[in-house]
Amino acid sequence: MKILVFIKQVADTEARILIKGDNKSLEIENKYNLNFFDEFAVEEAIRLKTKLKDSKITVCTYGGKKAIEALRTAIAMGADQAFLIDNTDLDTEDPLITARILSEFAKKEGFDIILCGRQAIDDENGAIGAMVAEFLNIPHVSAILKLDVKDDKHMIVESDAEGGKGTIEVELPALFTTQKGINEPRVPLITGVMKAMKANIPVIDPTTLGLKKEELIKDTSKIEVLFYETPKARPPVKIIDGETPQEKAKKLVKLLKEEAKVL
Amino acid sequence: MGKDICIFIECKDGNIRKTNFELLSKADELSKKMASNLLAVIIGKDISSLADGITSYADRIVVVDDDVFKDYRCDVFTDTMEKITKKYDPFLIIGASTITGKDLFPRFAARIGAAFISDATGIELDEKGLKVRKPIYGGKIISWVSPKNAERVVITFRPNSFAIENGKRSGEIIKEKIDAEMDPRINLINITKGQSKKVDLQEADFIICGGRGMKDPENFKLLEEIAEIIGARVGASRAVVDSKWRDYEDQIGKSGKTVSPKLYIGCGVSGALHHTMGMDTSKVVVAINKDPNALIFQYADYGIVDDLFNILPALKEELISAKKEG
Ligand SMILES: Cc1cc2nc3c(=O)[nH]c(=O)nc-3n(C[C@H](O)[C@H](O)[C@H](O)COP(=O)(O)OP(=O)(O)OC[C@H]3O[C@@H](n4cnc5c(N)ncnc54)[C@H](O)[C@@H]3O)c2cc1C
Ligand SMILES: Nc1ncnc2c1ncn2[C@@H]1O[C@H](COP(=O)(O)O)[C@@H](O)[C@H]1O
Repeated sequence: MKILVFIKQVADTEARILIKGDNKSLEIENKYNLNFFDEFAVEEAIRLKTKLKDSKITVCTYGGKKAIEALRTAIAMGADQAFLIDNTDLDTEDPLITARILSEFAKKEGFDIILCGRQAIDDENGAIGAMVAEFLNIPHVSAILKLDVKDDKHMIVESDAEGGKGTIEVELPALFTTQKGINEPRVPLITGVMKAMKANIPVIDPTTLGLKKEELIKDTSKIEVLFYETPKARPPVKIIDGETPQEKAKKLVKLLKEEAKVL
Repeated sequence: MGKDICIFIECKDGNIRKTNFELLSKADELSKKMASNLLAVIIGKDISSLADGITSYADRIVVVDDDVFKDYRCDVFTDTMEKITKKYDPFLIIGASTITGKDLFPRFAARIGAAFISDATGIELDEKGLKVRKPIYGGKIISWVSPKNAERVVITFRPNSFAIENGKRSGEIIKEKIDAEMDPRINLINITKGQSKKVDLQEADFIICGGRGMKDPENFKLLEEIAEIIGARVGASRAVVDSKWRDYEDQIGKSGKTVSPKLYIGCGVSGALHHTMGMDTSKVVVAINKDPNALIFQYADYGIVDDLFNILPALKEELISAKKEG
């Protein structure tokens, strides 16, 4: 069974992010990680491999050279091989383009199951998984919480449904996106880290995947970032004082009614 | 290419979801500026009567009522939306970024080749066109995004992004029969409804959130009681969820839900970045914490530095009497 995991390297949540002078680009402190939700995808792939005979886990990202670090993290966890599709000078904000490239890679590489994270914590699109599935014309289930093998052609997954949970049987090939709760991602062992350091990670030129360069450049993008801004800061907090808890509570309710007008 | 606006209406527990009225209200404003018509689409089983509730918000309400739409299925809904799009030719298709919306819209946008902007919190129209406000990096940065080269545009908005206005239209209800294609590779085995909470956390107007400072799962009763009085939903920090005091569906924050209620009250929540990323867009924030240096105060409008076990009972009494006064 071929298990494909699409991962993304993203800025750490603690990384300092500044808007550059042109208001159109960001300066990100050099702290990057494997995307939070993708750790669950890699972990689930590894667990799946132990359940299925003769499986191979391939991880892949469309990113800059630096993203090799995230691929190595995935190998250190237990993935078998990794590919970097190099996006140098082709960096895009349009999820349709990224999804198109990843789906072309999937076609070339072959797959039975594709796993993605629910959402990248940088762009917060939550789009790539479903889009890749659409381009490959395979079923997808978003934000799964459980993945069980029924037989070598069918998986049974559990995912959020409006106001509850849904249990769905899906025929392979299929794509699933993972979220918190599905598993506890492992911390790589030192042997894994050693293996990852030595792993040969092929770099793929996206234009060799059957797409023309014109289809990948910013000009063809269907969305455009006009500018960035920092969110309006909240005015400083008003600390409510009083002699007794009753007095404080009374003042708070009054302020919420009369000043904030929310009650 | 049309220029109409289409709003995807979701039903839940036999009602139209509140967030759809927010979208309809905003779309009303946009459609006036764009001189376009408003189309609302409701897909479901036994939902025809719900269309009456939104005739004042749209010019046409397309109702697709059939057994196959009983439960949301991505294949069926994507196919149906594609067919409706082909027939009614809207330029802009809007939905809410709910569980359903998050699943349906990226696939639907890819299907019809539309520009896709998700989880937005605002939209403006000026002489240059549409400008969509989208928080990224956990809300640390706001990105203003615009569609281009696009025949159609699909946008999803977070619940609580817009105010609800009264509708002034008198829309026509159109019953559509759509032969939706079902993907035989997907077999919905069952859907279990959780213990029915009154409102969805993301749609709640008021949220009272407990952190580890609540000390014990039993103490969440205090929060439930206050929530009852003001019609709030109880939320939780990750520390609380990890300790199994509350369900994961109550978790607010980066690895939980992003909420923007009118009022958020944090009790015994320290205000770690991973938490504030999920609640920073709340309109009014109240923090109750005994540590004057707790980070949460940097994100709050009003703060009380005290033991929450002293404050909450007093707050409860105050809210009861405030409610009596009306
Ligand atoms: C990758 C990642 C993702 C994460 N995602 C999330 C997420 O989605 N949501 C989330 O919430 N966290 C998340 N976290 C965890 C987050 O960093 C914090 O650890 C967590 O939010 C802390 O929870 P807390 O505020 O309830 O607990 P604590 O940090 O322990 O704070 C308890 C607070 O209660 C106060 N307190 C104690 N007793 C009283 C009392 N009697 N009266 C008044 N105040 C009192 C204390 O002063 C303290 O400020 C994530 C962390 C990581 C690494
Ligand atoms: N550039 C990329 N390369 C590989 N996988 C990606 C990329 N961007 C997003 N993904 C995958 O798609 C998921 C959702 O991302 P997004 O739609 O950007 O929020 C991520 O969790 C990854 O699994």
